[in-house]
Parts: sequence; C-alpha cells; structure tokens
Amino acid sequence: MKPVSASPLSPSVKVKLLNAGFLTSEELLQLKPLQLSKEGGLSLEEALEVQQILREGVDLPGEGGAGLGSTALELLQQEERSIVTFCSRLDAALGGGIPVGKTTELCGTPGMGKTQLCLQLCIDVQIPECFGGLGGEAVFVDTEGSLVVQRVADMAQAAVQHCCLQDQDAEQRDALKDFTTESLLGHLYLMRCHDYVELLAQVQLLPDFLVKNPKVRLLVIDSLAFPFRRHFEDLSVRTRLLSGLAQQLIRMASQHRVAVVWTNQMTSQLRGGQWELVPALGESWGHSATQRLLLHWSGGRRLASIFKSPSQSESSVAYSVTREGFRDAGQLASSPSGREQDSSSQSESKQDSSSQSGSKRPRTQEGQ
Amino acid sequence: MVVLREGMCPGLDENIVRDLRAANITTVEDLVASDSEELAQKCSLSYKALLAIRRVLLAQHTAFPVSGADLYEELLSSTAIVSTSIPSLDKLLDSGLYTGEITELSGGPGTGKSQVCFAAAVHTALRLKQSVIYIDTTGGLSASRLLQMLQVQTDHVEEQMEALQRIRVFRVFDIFSLLGCLHTIRCGGPQQASLGAGSVKAVIVDSVSAIISPTLGGKQNEGMSLMMQVAGALKTIAKDFNVAVLVTNHVTRGAGGELQAGLGLTWSHVPRTRLLLERSRGPGPLLGSTRTATLVKSSRQPCHIKAQFDLNWGSGPEEGLPGRKRARDSSDS
Repeated sequence: MKPVSASPLSPSVKVKLLNAGFLTSEELLQLKPLQLSKEGGLSLEEALEVQQILREGVDLPGEGGAGLGSTALELLQQEERSIVTFCSRLDAALGGGIPVGKTTELCGTPGMGKTQLCLQLCIDVQIPECFGGLGGEAVFVDTEGSLVVQRVADMAQAAVQHCCLQDQDAEQRDALKDFTTESLLGHLYLMRCHDYVELLAQVQLLPDFLVKNPKVRLLVIDSLAFPFRRHFEDLSVRTRLLSGLAQQLIRMASQHRVAVVWTNQMTSQLRGGQWELVPALGESWGHSATQRLLLHWSGGRRLASIFKSPSQSESSVAYSVTREGFRDAGQLASSPSGREQDSSSQSESKQDSSSQSGSKRPRTQEGQ
Repeated sequence: MVVLREGMCPGLDENIVRDLRAANITTVEDLVASDSEELAQKCSLSYKALLAIRRVLLAQHTAFPVSGADLYEELLSSTAIVSTSIPSLDKLLDSGLYTGEITELSGGPGTGKSQVCFAAAVHTALRLKQSVIYIDTTGGLSASRLLQMLQVQTDHVEEQMEALQRIRVFRVFDIFSLLGCLHTIRCGGPQQASLGAGSVKAVIVDSVSAIISPTLGGKQNEGMSLMMQVAGALKTIAKDFNVAVLVTNHVTRGAGGELQAGLGLTWSHVPRTRLLLERSRGPGPLLGSTRTATLVKSSRQPCHIKAQFDLNWGSGPEEGLPGRKRARDSSDS
C-alpha cells in the first residue's frame, strides 16, 4: 500500500499518474502496461518503466539492507577493525584507527601532512591480517595532482621493513612473502579527476568498481575541496551537489564496508570581529563527514585534533612526518592502546620516529 | 481524487463503472457531488442501487468528527513521556520527549545531537525496557558507543545485550529509501520491530536534513513535496502508534547572521518542540565538552530559555551523559 507520491518515479510521470487518480503503487502494478498507459495518459515505454521500477522496489524492500534493519547487538558483532595510522597516539585517540564503514575528513592548512596521512593509510590498509591489519586494497582519487609515486614507494618500503622485524610465527612469515613494495604499489588503484564534474562522475561509477574488487577497504579523495572551490558562481548549487555527494559516499562506505577518507582545505571567516581559520566548503558541509580531524600547528608542534566524532571524545595528539611516513612525534609513546585484538593476531609495535634512538618499542597490550 | 473501480463496494460492478464513466463520472467525488436521480435516468441505472453505492462510498471515505472531551481522555490515557536521561535537557523539554509529537534537535557539527539521540535510545531500551527504532542517515551510529553508554549504567552483561537487542537500526541514505523505510515500519511484517507489536516507544531519525537538503532548491520541483511526505509519515507514526519521534537537523545562518535551524520555514512548522544546540564559549575552542541548548519552539514552556549540559561524565552521573567517551590520550599544549 505504498503511495504513488512516495515512489522513485520521475516528477512528470508522477503528476500524470496522480491526475489520473492512482493512489497506491499496488493499483499501478495490478493493471497491464497497455491499460496503465491508456488510463494514466502515459506512453507505453513510460508505463513499462514505471512497472519495472515499482517491481524492483517490491522485491528488495528498502535499499541497501535497510529493508529489515538490524538490532544494535548484530551491529556490534559485525564491527570491523580500523585502519591504523602508524602514529600510536592518534590510533589510541581514534579508538584503534580510521574506522571502516564511516567517512572521515582531514582538514588543515597547506603543508600539514594531509596527503602524507592519506598515503600512509593506503599502505596501512594492505597490512596482512596476521599483523593486525585488514589485508585489503585501496583506491586513491587524486584531484590536485599532488601524488608522487616515489614517496609512496618509500613509505611502502618502510612499512615492509617494519613488518619484517615483527614476524614471529610461520603464518606471518608466509604473509610477508606477498608483502613487498611491489605488491603494495600494485594493490593501490589511482584515479585522476581534473574538475568537479569528473569527480562526481567518478563517485557515481565507484560502486560498480567496488563490487568488482571486493577487497578494497579504503577510498581516499585528495582533495575534495579543490575542484569545488573554483568556477562556482552559484553557491547554492555547490551546497546541493556537495550534500548529494556526501550521501553517496556514506552509502558506499556503509554498503561496501570501506573506509572513506577525504581532505578539505581551510578558509578564513569573520567571527565576532576576528578572522578565524575554519574548514572550507561551508558550514553545512561540516555535517557530512562522520568524523573530522584537524591538523594544525601549535607552539612549534604539529597536532592532530579530533573535533567531531560520534564515539571518541575530542582530543589532540602530536604527530610528525618523517622519511618513513606518518609517525608519532619525537617523544616516546608510553600509553597503551585499549584496542582489543583477536587471539590469533599479533599486536603490532609502533616504531619510534625519532631517528636518534633506533630502538624499537613494542606496544604493550592490556591483558596479553 | 479516488478513481471509481469495480469491487470498491458491494454494488459496484464493471458495467456500472462503465456506464458511469460514459456519463463523465470517474471519481468518488464526482459521484457524490452529482444528483443521483438525474444520474440514474442518464445512465439507465436503478435509483436505489445508486443510492446504496453512494452511501457506502461516503461511509468509506469521510472523516468522522470526534468530541473534544473524548480527545482529551485519549490524550491523558495514552501520552507517555520518554526522558532523554539528561536532566537539564529534560527540564527544557518539560520532563522529556512526549509521545505523539515530533521533537527536533538542531545544531552545528559536533554539538552533540547524535550523542543526545544515543542517550535517549539507551535510556528507553534499558530503563523503560521498550524498543527503539533508530534510522541512521549519516553513518554516525556506532554500536560500541551504545555499549559503552550501557556499561556505565549497568554491570550486568545480560541486561546490556537485551537492551542492545531492543534498539533496531535502519541505515538509509536517500529520501525514497527513507519513505520506504517509514512505510515498512508502519505496516511491517512480524519479523521486524513493527509498530503494530506495540512495544516501540521512540523513533529517532538522525539526521533528517542530510537526506532532504539535496532535494531542495534549484530546478528540482519535487523536494518540498517529498519533505512534507516525510513530515506526514513521521506525524502519522507519532500519533497513531503513540511513539515519541526525535529528529536532528543542521543549522544555517539567517539574514542577520544568527544561527537558525535548517530546512527552511516550511519544515519549521513540522516539529512541535525545537531545541538549538551550541558549543559553550569556554576556554579552548576545540576541547570543551559543555554544550548549551536553547528552546526555540515549544507549546509548553517559554521560548529562549537555555540549559547547559556536559557530553562527558561530570562530577556525577546526574549531570551529564552516561559514560565518558573513550579516554583521551592527549598531549595538550
């Protein structure tokens, strides 16, 4: 007994059907297509299309698993591991790392390390499961042309070396055979978009790509703001396109179990007589990401602050960007992370980023 | 505009429908508005049969008046109040979320709207032992956060698991899915927590603006209609099944630069009570955890009264939300 006005048909067709007096989609499905086109004032093709759309709606009640819903208990059991960032304090603040199935936004002024963190995540998502990673693949959508493959290769090499020093049993040694710089680069899919139209088209085509490559666990868009900050005279169109894009991305994250990460730029805003740096793309864009991280300078140190999260409290941690990639800041990391691990997986140790002390510090796990 | 079809009522068969259509009577309204005697002569139908059909159709399609006293009795016996578990917010809302009404929380990003929704869901599932339907459109629902909030309130693992089972989550990401989902909830089958089963006390939609705002504006002419259909569906659910409906909304800046709830003037008439959440202007722009709620629209309290609440556990559980979020690992400057 679904009403016609709530069906996903095109507005002109809906108006014709409502004027002909149809109220529920059941009435539309009961007639033959020829009868429907005569009574509704539609052409035969339109009538066939209407019936096909309505039948699809009946077969899978609700899109994307919303049909029956699930209890919170089932969701708790299905929750997946997060993608580590190799900065142990940031991982602890995030509750394990970048969450899979949610969207994360990285904001910061130029040169803070947003692209570095994105590249680090592309490497980290590929860490095999026996080392505590996800063993997945990554998709990198580049809109600025800021990707330098040599840098990715350096980070990949550092990650491989890090894992080689950790292997402790046969399973891990086996996994290491496939975990080389070449394989890391091979499982990273690069897409290049030059303007916002290409970006929107690419996002439209991504669900098919994700279905064909089910091992993808991370989607990075660097940067999302750049194509949308040029050539837009009508800002309300931009807001609409952006909110539609945000919904598509969160749907992809939720249905295909990928972590979606994008970077945003900063802009100045006049607030209370003073100029403040705020994330770009407008105020309503702030609602789009599930989680937001701000990378900023503070007293000579780089800080990463969580300033919007549904499950973590707001905090700031210091980080640094070294030759090996995104790492902890110079101090020794002493706080244990509270993340639970399966008994079969090995806890990963975070290497000190300071080049002066070359010693490794295994991260202590509670209860292990 | 209900089209006449055979089988609608006992006397209406295919021949009569055809004859009526020949006389240009296609809908129920046309039949009821026309003169039966004239119509009987024109279509060569029996006058008595036509009168009988007309009576049945009128009975099927008219609304029945109810006396005010009956309505008041019904209101007193069926309305319940669902607490949000935050005392300062409950005070603003005149002790909580009322069933049969839509309450709206609006606020900028990171102001705690989802946290308040979680708190209300957890309280309803654990303390009131009633089911909750949570419609998540932004991916903000995290089952581990719900578990964390439960673990602070009770130590029994069984109770926690039972409470988690009472919260049913639907993930929808566009407006047609939302309409379909609301429709399914109303007439759902036995395996779902359908409203007919009678134990659902709250329906939470977080957030309704993320889904509606892409459809509004520009050359799209359907957005407002879809928005009001969502409003109608939510109101029907609230009234017919006696549940408290809580929705969240974003904010925009008005003409004078002041904060106001999103989705425009038309949506502002839909919720009965509206709250605006803001970060408190305290020390440290990023790390404060207190929030200020302002009552923007209410039929029970004076407007523009404010209350403060804390997203973390303050000095005691009565003050803030249950459970500090996962401990900070901060190296604040």
